Amino acid sequence: MATVVEIENLRKEFGSVRALDGISLRIDHGEWIAIMGPSGSGKTTLINILGGLDSPTSGRAMVDGTDVARLDETGLTRFRAEKVGFVFQQFHLVPYLTALENVMLAQYFHSTTDEKEARQSLERVGLSDRSEHLPLQLSGGEQQRVAVARALINHPKLILADEPTGNLDEMNEQIVLNLLRQLHQEGHTILMVTHAPSIGRLADRRIELAHGRLAHISAASLRPEPV
Amino acid sequence: MMFWRLVFQLLRGSRGRLAVAILAIVSGAAVISALLNLDLGVQNKLTQEFRSLGANIVISPANSTPTMEGAATPSLMREDEVLHSLQRLQSPEVAVAAPYLYIVARTQDTPVVVTGTWLDQAQRIEPTWKLEGNWISSRDDDSHCLIGRAVARQLHLAPDGQLELGYVNRRKQCTVAGVVDAGGAEDNQVFANLHAVQSLANLPGQIGLVQISVSGAPDNVADYAARLAVALPSGVQVRPIRQVTEAEGSLLGRIQFLIVSMVVLILILTALCVLGTMAALAMERRKDVGLMKSLGGSISRIMGLFLAEVGVLGAVGGLIGAILGVTLSYWMGLRVFGAAISPRWEIFPVTVLLMIVVAMAGALPLRALGDVKPAVILRGE
Repeated sequence: MATVVEIENLRKEFGSVRALDGISLRIDHGEWIAIMGPSGSGKTTLINILGGLDSPTSGRAMVDGTDVARLDETGLTRFRAEKVGFVFQQFHLVPYLTALENVMLAQYFHSTTDEKEARQSLERVGLSDRSEHLPLQLSGGEQQRVAVARALINHPKLILADEPTGNLDEMNEQIVLNLLRQLHQEGHTILMVTHAPSIGRLADRRIELAHGRLAHISAASLRPEPV
Repeated sequence: MMFWRLVFQLLRGSRGRLAVAILAIVSGAAVISALLNLDLGVQNKLTQEFRSLGANIVISPANSTPTMEGAATPSLMREDEVLHSLQRLQSPEVAVAAPYLYIVARTQDTPVVVTGTWLDQAQRIEPTWKLEGNWISSRDDDSHCLIGRAVARQLHLAPDGQLELGYVNRRKQCTVAGVVDAGGAEDNQVFANLHAVQSLANLPGQIGLVQISVSGAPDNVADYAARLAVALPSGVQVRPIRQVTEAEGSLLGRIQFLIVSMVVLILILTALCVLGTMAALAMERRKDVGLMKSLGGSISRIMGLFLAEVGVLGAVGGLIGAILGVTLSYWMGLRVFGAAISPRWEIFPVTVLLMIVVAMAGALPLRALGDVKPAVILRGE
């Protein structure tokens, strides 16, 4: 199976603080990986580096054949537009754009916009009737589904989800998790940060970080059926 | 088109904050366009006002010192040559031109300066003269004359009175059509049509000087005078009347300086006001920019959106302000000059352009958004 992510001896330091301390890891195409660990263990730093939002201090971080550590600002911008799709805990939608426009914004920065495709993407996450609503008019779960639609619109090689259900109630959490499960079944590669062991168990592998190091890697033994 | 859709949404999303900026731009544009319209309009109005002060160019024989008070002219020019040159150089700037011949005749044994001219034109050259009686409206009327107020008083003459003029051994009788009150040396003169005075003096086809009233700015006057000097026959000189043109030039220059200074000041104030708003907006937009960058937005594309937003703000504010300003100057013209200053269409693009430039200059704080680190912003720091 093709490798999408290959990390070798990755280090990241913020002043005297070592956020990542020599991590090495491979993620194959179509895998769903859960990154777990206590606060400050380096989970978000790891996906920020893999998403081109941050640069490592040393080491290699290959995503779909591109070493993120070697990209300049312009290269990182193109990388973010073409290779990865982000889903954040805080949703991070542009407040004055409608759901549809938030999805089209990612298209705009990638290349050209296609409203029909953006509508289909919203339809896929069950929000075809909410496309003209502003984020403020949407529930947290709906906002996160818009964020998922936006992450998918440019067909990224890697979906990076930083605690995607962290701000959702139980019902919306299940809706978003079902969406991720669906994406996984369709063959998307997902790297998800979570604190919740129950959510971590949905992934193919769980990677536990502690003090910036790989503490444990385990395969999920139990996958609950979709709700 | 997504670009303009995003720009529109940016404007809509920050309408509260941007209201302050657009208010500043509209106010600035209104005052600037009013001033610019006034500046252009005032030049015309003042030029018209200055033309009422009389001629501003005099053509005279090269070896004479012309005076408009009717002093004796030591040498003369050929009327047909000078007028022919004037006709050849026909220019829309020439409001009025009239030839003059001054002689010292005698009446009731008293010497009096008799001015021969085209009386139908002289009235336009001296529009401030007050007249008791009637003006002579035809330059072919040899039987009537006008007399100055002092002459009328000295000779006890009134309109319809008879005046006999003598020059050497020739005599000429004329009926007083009106009494002129010029408030100057003209009050001591008698005015008759040129042909009648030429006959009396036996100087057919001879003139002492030509007075010309040229409209336009002092530069136009000087330019016309230079062209005229080239066109005229030799032995003839052209002189702008400096008191008039220099006073006009000086006043226009001062008004222009005042208006330009105020325009620059208002531009700076408007830019500062926009700057303040944009600095606050830049802080608000940090999160949006961080997010846009995380989605793959290059700083040039993101800044392009913001600059277009600011440009639209400047253009719309400038246009609204220009309409208000031109209306304002129309009203000011009525109040100050008693005549409306009509809108100059070039004011609109100039004001809009200035406001776009000012808005762009005021948007300088948005440049700081280029340094936003998406990872830092998305962490909520």
